[in-house]
Amino acid sequence: MDKKVRRALEKAVGRQNVLTKPADLLLYSYDSSTAEGRPDAVVFPDSTEEVARIVKVCAERGLPFVARGAGTNLSGGSVPLRGGVVIVLSRMNRVLEIDVDDLRAVVQPGLVNLDLQNVLAPHGLQFCPDPASQKVSTVGGNVAENAGGPHCLKYGVTVNHVTGLTVVMPSGEVRSFGGKALDPPGYDLAGVLIGSEGTLGIVTEMVLRLSPLPDDAQTVLAIFDTLEAAGESVSRIIAEGMLPAALEIMDRQTIEAVEASFPSGLPLDVEAVLLIELDGLTESLARQAARCAEICRELKAREVAVGRTPEEREKLWSARRSAFGATARISPAMLVNDATVPRTKIPEVLREIQEIERRHGLRIAKIFHAGDGNLHSNILFERGNPEDFRRAEEATAEIFRACAEAGGTITGEHGVGAEKVKFMSLLYSADDIDAQRKLKSVFDPEGIANPGKVLPEPAEVGSE
Amino acid sequence: MSALGDRLYALEEIVGAESLLTDTEAVASYRVDGEQPLAVALPESSEQVAALLREAAEGGLSVLMRGAGRHMHLGAPPTPIGLVVSMDRLRRVVEYDAENLTITAQAGMPLGTLQGVVGERAQMLPLDPRGGDGATLGGVVAANLAGPIRMRYGSPRDLVIGLRVALADGALIKAGGKTVKNVAGYDLSKLFVGSFGTLGAICEVTVRLTPKPESRAMLVLAMNSAEVKEVTGKLLRSRLEIASLDIANEAAVRRMRLSLPITLAPELRIVFVGLMGDRAAMVRQENEIRASSGGAFARLDGTQGGHAWLSLREAPHPNSVDEIVARAALPISYATETVDLVSQFDGWWSVARAGDGVVYAGPPREATTEMMVDRLAELREFAQRREGVVILEAASLEMKRGFSVWGDIPNLDLLRKLKDAYDPTGNLGCWRYLPRR
Repeated sequence: MDKKVRRALEKAVGRQNVLTKPADLLLYSYDSSTAEGRPDAVVFPDSTEEVARIVKVCAERGLPFVARGAGTNLSGGSVPLRGGVVIVLSRMNRVLEIDVDDLRAVVQPGLVNLDLQNVLAPHGLQFCPDPASQKVSTVGGNVAENAGGPHCLKYGVTVNHVTGLTVVMPSGEVRSFGGKALDPPGYDLAGVLIGSEGTLGIVTEMVLRLSPLPDDAQTVLAIFDTLEAAGESVSRIIAEGMLPAALEIMDRQTIEAVEASFPSGLPLDVEAVLLIELDGLTESLARQAARCAEICRELKAREVAVGRTPEEREKLWSARRSAFGATARISPAMLVNDATVPRTKIPEVLREIQEIERRHGLRIAKIFHAGDGNLHSNILFERGNPEDFRRAEEATAEIFRACAEAGGTITGEHGVGAEKVKFMSLLYSADDIDAQRKLKSVFDPEGIANPGKVLPEPAEVGSE
Repeated sequence: MSALGDRLYALEEIVGAESLLTDTEAVASYRVDGEQPLAVALPESSEQVAALLREAAEGGLSVLMRGAGRHMHLGAPPTPIGLVVSMDRLRRVVEYDAENLTITAQAGMPLGTLQGVVGERAQMLPLDPRGGDGATLGGVVAANLAGPIRMRYGSPRDLVIGLRVALADGALIKAGGKTVKNVAGYDLSKLFVGSFGTLGAICEVTVRLTPKPESRAMLVLAMNSAEVKEVTGKLLRSRLEIASLDIANEAAVRRMRLSLPITLAPELRIVFVGLMGDRAAMVRQENEIRASSGGAFARLDGTQGGHAWLSLREAPHPNSVDEIVARAALPISYATETVDLVSQFDGWWSVARAGDGVVYAGPPREATTEMMVDRLAELREFAQRREGVVILEAASLEMKRGFSVWGDIPNLDLLRKLKDAYDPTGNLGCWRYLPRR
């Protein structure tokens, strides 16, 4: 890195908060995806002002910058594809204000989601988005990705729970969009920024909408001999007017992985496990849980269990919670995707994924948020085997195509990042993408905010 | 043929002569703030809307979008209007996926019709904006309007998951999709929701639905203004499944013509608590709410409750073309004090959506313009000191000229850049939202 630039960065955040040694840079050249890219420097700011100073240094020199939270990103969103400066926000992890009267919290982006929940719980409050990664992922990352989590069907996604942002623009200027009050006049700038994956600016402060914790919850676990029956149960539950907080399905491969690593007593000769979480007022829960159990039995569930106490519920959830880690343990190399389809299309798309699995001779572990149609197909492959990796990539492309054709999308919560840019034209026409590019060009005319992410280059559109 | 004649002829080519009104008398009823459009087009497809926009841009005709016309009072006085594009004939359901809890409909579909369609499957679109059942889906989305149940279900910003939009250059684009979770690319639908047709014309809307609750109840509490903050604050932080929480002063109850089994007085506030959910859970909730305040309590029966709900929904709607309605939006804990402030003005009514921090207010019929401007300025200053804003929801032209409809719009320079990017000729919306440079 150019000495002058390094000195400017050191001046911005202090010498001890700038890394430029090759060994250090290597650590920030990947995230939880398969993307890679070496930064020229890594900086650790502690305030909005410091972020602004860093971005100004970048802007003056046309140097790319990439914001980074906990690096749990599954699409390569936090990888500096074109070098430049990685801005790590982990030091900015403070809860600035818990405003119980206004049901708002003001927090910094590096705050870990679960740490926030723990601060809110004593007030009887929560921040609804709870992605599966909540023990490590940061609220800033949740905002950048518009994260979901298992409870979206009932509670919506991150954008539904954020009312204001402080943003360092790609020019280095600091702005605020929205605040504690709703409906500021003007276009919804906070709304478009949420989920923009750090390509429109860096969020340095967030005003979050808080909600009371639910009165009570119950969990139903049902074991099925076919995936179809599990899917059909979900459809019936919704058709009867119930709106569970979560509806999760795991397939046989996932169950096998879980039992191999964290045995929870699930039988190995089944095809699907369905988890139903109901929350709300105690009086309605018993009846709803009983009805869900009944529906599962009507659809030939082999076993149905209902958890009423927190301990019982945690036990039923334990297999689901460890599923991702367990799968990663039997195959450290996997391609993770999170294509999403309208819930009604799940059976059809599942059949197609099973066919893709067979055709490529691959193992695909499927976990899905059946309530909102979000399918996580984890494609296992052998690391260091380029042929295997190529087949996994082909399978990914085929799954995306199948989901797009079913009226779905290529990513429900992980983001486009670097990995899915080439699939954007499955969903969008050249005009659609051009309209999105207009937004980018207003916020980041020089193209220095997380370049190479989200939008394909004009030449790439239409040539998937 | 004159230049204007040529331009109108080009529009006629797109929609057909019978669907382009140019007759002075016919277009008179499409006036906005006294401004009469040159022509009104009634397209029948999204493609026609897009073609109209392109033609209008090329011919330099400014465009004002219109649904059922229920909320045309909302906005600054327009610059001269070239073409009104009425979405009245675009009222089809495009796709109703009941099992997926989503529906896609054309922008001109009346909300009441849509509720009827999804009601048959025991579902609802959880939006109850003012303006009656005739207000169109597209209009409500373009203005981001919501009603009493917003605190539980959100506004169009939260419920819209996809849009089909005609841009100023005639491109017909898709934003978002059909799934609740979707992070592929920028969510442009956020940009168009609430943009009042100034960035593009919303042609189709995909929204999330919710199962219709088994049971509804409307409870009424009366208490002294001093107690309201604590009581409503407790309810908002409680685990009860409250769908709406409205605070009204005496003048508002009278304006809504609600007859309540409660004796009204100027220092009293009436708190309306709407519950939606399982029948099994109603009794306990009712008891807890009754216990939360020492004052008068009433449970409205089915018809009365429904009537109160409708009245609260319509409270912010102007009763005449000249009636003034202001809307304040503040952090929610200030809702009570805002109602208190307005109640000190002579005869002013006020209704607050306590869960959203949105407070509506209006003067009595006999108020003079001068006095109203003073009061509105006081209200705006009060809100601004508390991180809030006040906009003029409805007003006479005279009033709009004396008091800025939108107040100070934050980030105006950036918003203008967005406007330039999507509508380079400044053709859409007749400058009723962002002020002209």
